[in-house]
Order: sequence, then C-alpha cells, then structure tokens
Amino acid sequence: MIAERSPVGRPIPLLLILLLVAAVHGPLLLMQLPAKASYDTNFHIFFASHYAQHWFNPWNEKWFAGFSQTTYPPLGHQLVALLSYAVGLNAAYGLVQFLALLLLPVGVYRFAKLWVDDTSASYAALGSVFLGAVAFLVYSAGQLSTILAAPLYLNAVPYFYHWARHGKLRSLLKGVMLGLAAASVHHVTLLFGAIFFAIPVLWLAWMDERAEAGGNSGTKVLLRGASFAALMIVGVAVVLLPYWISILQHPIKQIPIPHASRSNFLFNPLYGFNYFVVPYGAMILALPFILFRGASVPRLRPLLISFWFAFIFGLGGTTPLPKWLLGRAFDILTFERFTLWASLLALPIVGLLAVDLLRRYPRAAATGLSLAAVGTFALAMAWLDMSPFHATGGLNVDSVVSFLNRDGHDRYRYLTLGFGNALPKISTYTEAPSVDGEYNSARLLPEMTDYGAAQLTSAKFFGTAGMDSLRAMLKHANRYGLKYIFVHDQYYEPLLVFAGWRQIETYDGGTITVWSKEDVAPARKIESDAVPAPWEGLLWGILPIGTAFLSVLFLILLPDRRRLPQVLMVPVRTNDALYVREGNS
Amino acid sequence: MKYGLALTLLFGILLLVAIGWLQSAKAAGVSLRAQNTPEQAVQNLLRSVREKNWPKAQAQLANANQVDSSAFVYDLAGGDGSLRTYSTLEDSEVSVLHQDADDALVRVKLNWSTAVGSLSDTRDLKVVRRGKENDWKVFWPVSQVPKLPAQVMAVNYLRWDVVNRGPEGEWGTASIDPPKVRIISMNAIERNDSVIVMGEVVNEDTIPAYLNVNAALVDANGVEFRHEGSFDKVSHILLPSQVTPYLIDFPKLQLNQLKQVRMDANVAAVPASADPVIGVMNQRLETNTVGNKVLAGELVNQSGQTVNIAHVLATCYDNNGKVIWVSDEYVDRALLPTTPQPFAVDLPADVAARVQRFRVMANQYTRGAS
Repeated sequence: MIAERSPVGRPIPLLLILLLVAAVHGPLLLMQLPAKASYDTNFHIFFASHYAQHWFNPWNEKWFAGFSQTTYPPLGHQLVALLSYAVGLNAAYGLVQFLALLLLPVGVYRFAKLWVDDTSASYAALGSVFLGAVAFLVYSAGQLSTILAAPLYLNAVPYFYHWARHGKLRSLLKGVMLGLAAASVHHVTLLFGAIFFAIPVLWLAWMDERAEAGGNSGTKVLLRGASFAALMIVGVAVVLLPYWISILQHPIKQIPIPHASRSNFLFNPLYGFNYFVVPYGAMILALPFILFRGASVPRLRPLLISFWFAFIFGLGGTTPLPKWLLGRAFDILTFERFTLWASLLALPIVGLLAVDLLRRYPRAAATGLSLAAVGTFALAMAWLDMSPFHATGGLNVDSVVSFLNRDGHDRYRYLTLGFGNALPKISTYTEAPSVDGEYNSARLLPEMTDYGAAQLTSAKFFGTAGMDSLRAMLKHANRYGLKYIFVHDQYYEPLLVFAGWRQIETYDGGTITVWSKEDVAPARKIESDAVPAPWEGLLWGILPIGTAFLSVLFLILLPDRRRLPQVLMVPVRTNDALYVREGNS
Repeated sequence: MKYGLALTLLFGILLLVAIGWLQSAKAAGVSLRAQNTPEQAVQNLLRSVREKNWPKAQAQLANANQVDSSAFVYDLAGGDGSLRTYSTLEDSEVSVLHQDADDALVRVKLNWSTAVGSLSDTRDLKVVRRGKENDWKVFWPVSQVPKLPAQVMAVNYLRWDVVNRGPEGEWGTASIDPPKVRIISMNAIERNDSVIVMGEVVNEDTIPAYLNVNAALVDANGVEFRHEGSFDKVSHILLPSQVTPYLIDFPKLQLNQLKQVRMDANVAAVPASADPVIGVMNQRLETNTVGNKVLAGELVNQSGQTVNIAHVLATCYDNNGKVIWVSDEYVDRALLPTTPQPFAVDLPADVAARVQRFRVMANQYTRGAS
C-alpha cells in the first residue's frame, strides 16, 4: 500500500491534469496544427460545413456526384457545425478537438479507478496527456471522431460497472446516454469499444460481485450487463437509424483499398515505426511490466486480455489474427485506432508502474517518467516533420476556390489531381461539385468502387488500380459534367493531354494548373437511390445531437455522489498492491 | 503459475508474429535460401527493381561489372522524361522457357503502372550459375545511354495562335467559327462482349481543330441509351487536312441491342503547332517473340526537342478500304531528336489476317508544352 503521507501517495488533482492538457495541446490547437499537418481534419471540417448549411439534409452533392452523410455518425461534425456559427469552422474544429482532449484524462481517470487505486489512476490520466497515440491521431491522422468517441466510452463504462454491480438507475441512464453519444460520434469505436472496454469491465464487475457477495451473485451482474447492452442496442438502432438504413441499402462491396496500417510491419519497417514506435513511444519499455503485472493480479486480467487483443489488432497485418477474426472487414478497417485503444487499456497498469517507481526511486523515477512522457509526445510531434509521409492539408488552395467560385465555373463538376487531403478544403469553400471525395465508404460511382483505389486525387499512389479508376472517370467526363481538372502533380499531365484536356490557367508559380475539356455540358443531378428520406434527415438532425445534450443534462441533474475518503477494512482479499474499487455513483 | 497467463500471451504474440512473417514472406516471394532457381533469381532482381534499389539490383547480375550503371538504370527507370520515368513496376509473371545445368532462359512479363494506365513489357532473360555459391544470376544485356552529338537544328514549321476577346475568354470558346471537320467513316462491330465503334475523321479546314468524337447508341424505340467518347483512342488536335482514326468502346453490350449509332464530332479552334514532327518508318506486320501479331515500325522525331511520350495510333483497313480495327500503343522511351525508336502495336489475330493496308500516326506529349 502506498503511504498517504508521501507525495506519491496522493492522487494528482484532476484539475491540474486538465490544466496540463490546456498547456500542452492548447497552443497546438490554437495554431490549427491539425488542419495544416493532419490527413483527416479537412474531411471532418467539410462534413461539418455541410451540417452548418443543411442541418436537416444529409444528402451532400459536393462529392461523388452526391452522397449521403448518414454513412458517418454525425455528432462530432454537428458539434463543430454548431460552434462554427460563433467562431468559424477551423476554430470550431479546434474547440471540439480540445473538448475531446479534456475529456480524455477524465475518462482515463474514471476508467482506471475501476482497476487500480486513485493515485495510480491519476498517473494514468496524467499519462494520457502525453500519449503518442493521441498525438499521432490528433495531429497526424486528424481522427477527431476516434479521439472524441474514446473518452465518451471511457466515461460511460464506469457507469456500466456501477449499474452492473449495484443496479442504480442513475448509473444506467448516464452510462447509456454517454454510450449513445459516443456511438453518435464514431461507428467503429461503437463496434469495437463494446468489446475492448465493456466486456472486461463486465468481467470485472462479475469478479468483484462474486468476491464480495459470493455464491451465484455474479448472475445478477451479468443480467444487468445484458439489460444495459439491450438498451444500448435499441438506442443505437434508433439514434443512428438512417446510418443502418444506408448501410443495409448499400453494403460496402467495393474492391478493398490498400492501407499502410494493414501491412506487415516487419516487412515495412517505416510503417512499423509510423504505426508502432511513434504511437506507443516509451510505453514500449513498459510492455513487459504490463504483461507480467497484468497477469499476476487477478483483477487486472480482464484488462490485460483486452489490451492484448487491441495490441495485436494494432499491429495490423503483422499477425494474421485480425484477418482471421475480421474476415473481409479487415480490408475495410484501418488499424491505427486499435493502438490508441491498446494504449488506453494499458494506462491503468502503466499508472501502477509509475507509482511503484516513484515510491522506490522518487527522484530518478520522476526524472525518467517525465522524460519518457515528454519524449513520447515529442517524438510523435517531431514525426510530423521527420516522416516521409506528409499530409497536404495545408496546401494553399485559394486560387482553386477562387476559380471555381467565379464566372459560373461551379455549374460543372471538377476534379483535383495531386491535392491529397487538401481536396476537402476546396470542397468546403466552393459550391462546385466534384466527382471525387475523401470518404471511401460513401462512394457509389462504379468508376470508383470497381477499382481498389481510394481518392482519384491521389490515384497514382494506388498504382494500376488508381490510374485505371482515374481513366474510367475521365472517360465518363461528359456524363458527369466533369469539365475542370486542377493539377498539383505533373505526373497526371500526360493522361490529360492524350485524353483531350487542355491547360487553361496556371497559378502559384506553376505549381497548380487548370485543365478544361471543351465538349462538356454543365453538370446535371445524378439520380441515386441513396438519397435519405426527409424524415431520416430530421432524425439525423435531432437524435445524435440530442444524446449529447441529454448526457450533459443527466450529468448535471444526476450528479455522482461524492465519495468520502475510504478506509479499507481488514481483511483485504488480495496479496497484491492496493486496488480500490470506486464507490457508488 | 503466477505468470502463466503472461507467458501464454507472450508466446501467443511471438507465434502470431511468426505466422504473419511466414505468410507475408510467401506472398512477397521471399525465400530463406536466395536464388537457388533461375525463377527465384529473376524474382529477386525484380523485387529490387520494384523497390527502385538500383545498386542492389545491379549487384545481383551475373555480369554486374560489364553493365554500365547509368545504362542499367536508364533501361529500367527510364530517362529524358519518358513514360518509363512515370512508371512503377507493379508485378511480374516469370516463366522458365528453357533450363540446363548452368544456364536458363526465363520469360518475364513486367506489368508497369504508368501515368497513362497499365503497360506490359515482355523480356526473355538469360540466367546463369555464377559465383562462389554457385547461385543463379541474371545475365543482363549490355546497353548504352543514348547520347546525341551536340548540333544545331533549324526548325521551320507552321504554328497557329488563337486570339481571345479578353480575360473571360477560354480556349476554344472564343467567337471563332469552329473548323470544318468531317467523320469520313464509321464501322460498328461486336467483340468480346463489347460493341466497338470506329472510323476516321478528317480536318477539311485550313486551321487546326480540337476534336472529340462521341457516339450515342439508339435502341429500337429511338431512345439514346448509352454514350461514350473516344478518350485517348483519337488524336485530339487535328492539323489542316490531317486524318485521325477513332475508336469508341461500349463494354458489356451486344450489337443486336442497338438500332442506330449517332456520331458527334465536337470541334473547336485551338492554338497548335506542327512541331514536333514525328515520322513513322519501316512499318510492317510481324509476329513478336510471344507469338502475337504486331504492327511494328520506328518513330523518328524530326524536330530538335525531345518528345517525352509518344502515342501510336494504327488504323487497319480491309481490301475494301473499310476501317476494321484501330489499335494504339504508348511508347515508354522518349523520342530523342533524329533517333529512331521502335514501336509495336498489338493486333488481334483475326484482324491481322484481314488487314490489307494500314496507316500509323503518332500523338505526343512534351513536358511544358501543354
């Protein structure tokens, strides 16, 4: 047990950790670093811009000659849209991202308290501020939804535990509502969060109940767990009904698109560095401790096993297990988010390690742990510059936007080549529609789904599949009203020349050229059976955002009972270090 | 047993990583014992080519000391802005044609992903046993980087400019009457589950024309149900009196599903130049090493600037002068001034048997001249 008089024996105040979040991430977000350096930020801002203009109409004509935004849970984007009315889109994105980063240590702290003592939990929360996986996903990947959904789940699962253990209705309400809010942010986290976070917690609740009450009392826990799950299933089915309708109507049948996170990292050391070393950072050194401490303490075993699976999944194609378990879904998912979940699952045990070290070697451990945390974060940030993979989201596209917004050019569809993830930035600020887009799951045009390539703007990186897809689209330029092509990579010029496009303008010292085809008529609406019904738009505009408001309302109206300092009564039923169970809430 | 779970999980990770490594190694064609067959020797070489690791690739050659490094790289990676410089080796098909104790002949089909689509290149490579370890190694044909003598070339060619009304005018939209262009032939056939429409267009005007040929298929009810364009199977810039073939492909269709074909040649006046002039020499029908019929010949760039990518369009006629096939081929080597560059355009065997006459023209892409 950790001595209460030692500074290490006291939990770090959560407020202090939140201030640290503000100090570490605040300036980076104020600089709008994700919009400049990350892959997906512009995509999320684009989705948000649509909600800002058409809250109740999820049909977006700007990409893929029309697609439904009900193919992606909307809450994160809707929050950005709401805030954008006050501060603009970019700052609104930063604010929502900041909110997610603030919620993360709170969630980690509450989640870790289920497994370890308050002090270790607070160190786990502190560690979450410097997680390489978080820095990687926020500033390099730009995965707002993953980063926002994870803390919502982390905050929901303690309520799940308390409902399962004690059957308090307020825990059920708050847990379900937070879970629904998380599901409304990110569908992939919904599907896997349940497995990686909820199942070990249910297992823990069952173990704790049996340890305290004995006999068959565990059955009650399982029944309550099942009732929670049933409510969640019904809730998610209703709140995300338009999503399920679109998925059932158009299941993802497109040819798999390669992604580096599915590689075997041993065969691609650079990918290994990008998806393993950078996200885990110094936590790699703690892996043996996580494994052996997690295995030696019975209460930590569910957490360890869940971590083990998330860890293996995070290795992508390095092991065959993800492919075996996921089947075809393996070729649809990307696996960097599993590394985040593995890191979050490991944090409670890492918190224990930190406290152990600080107790034994106060000065050396404090220095070492600080260096490890800061070094991990610094590596992830430095990797933004050192990495050979660079997002192009920061590209200046003002000239392209200006061209499209003048002289009726937006009557035609356009295509960008070599713009990477600057494409959504163009789409956000022009009404002109494109045949391309950055969200693979929403694509229905056969010129794209029949080939194993993602965005046309990055066609060359997908080899023959990408270039064949581009050829197929250019062949049907007249059908789609595709008149203008913006080129930011000379690689694409030969094909345009031989296919009959002519260069008409040059911008930014020749780095961007505009190409046009003479015989293309203005774009007309492409009929699609994927257009959501008006009632779906209404549901989509009300229910997901409603879960966020209701979650806040429940948290205010049904506050957690403040726990009095707890003295553990003898006998303690374990030989291990102290693992305090959280009181009722 | 306190750490039994930890050891189990650790063993599980190691086992899974080992299985993953073996699976990936198998998929990548990596073998533990390198180059113990001619096929493996070629595959190892091609893996280095795919990785663009030229020193490693050259080191694997049996005649590494005789092969000039720059010529080796020029051969595989291209140069002078040629199509090969816009290419990546995507995959390859290797088959052993002949093998003795110490040498073998291996046929390799290299599938390249290029800036204009996929291209294939078939080569027969000699593979021999060499070195202390008696490994199989590829014997690479010795070549040289083409070098031109310094010279001055006089150019004398026609050039047409279009003067727009103002900044709002875009190319081809100026108030200039479009050049007079006529579709002089059209032939619709059915082939491999596709309907193919082909023919020729002539520019009858005295100014160059920008051209796009489109076809609409009309069903028995008089409704247009499919539209396609000629895409790159046409020369889009047509100089005065010049004739271009066109070919339009309608996949997954049968001829009996249509009643009529409506042709549309969209024309506009554009600035153009007669330079660079590309001559087509020594045209002939022959059979290539794989046994396919090809229309072969040489392209000669008669101007002083390098043509980076040439695109050959071949029109085949039967004994009645009817267009029976249009074939095309991108040349993956740059056309250096006055230096002949071979080309070979594939022809279907049945078409080759009926061809009485053919005509070849070349489009071109020159970097910075768009």
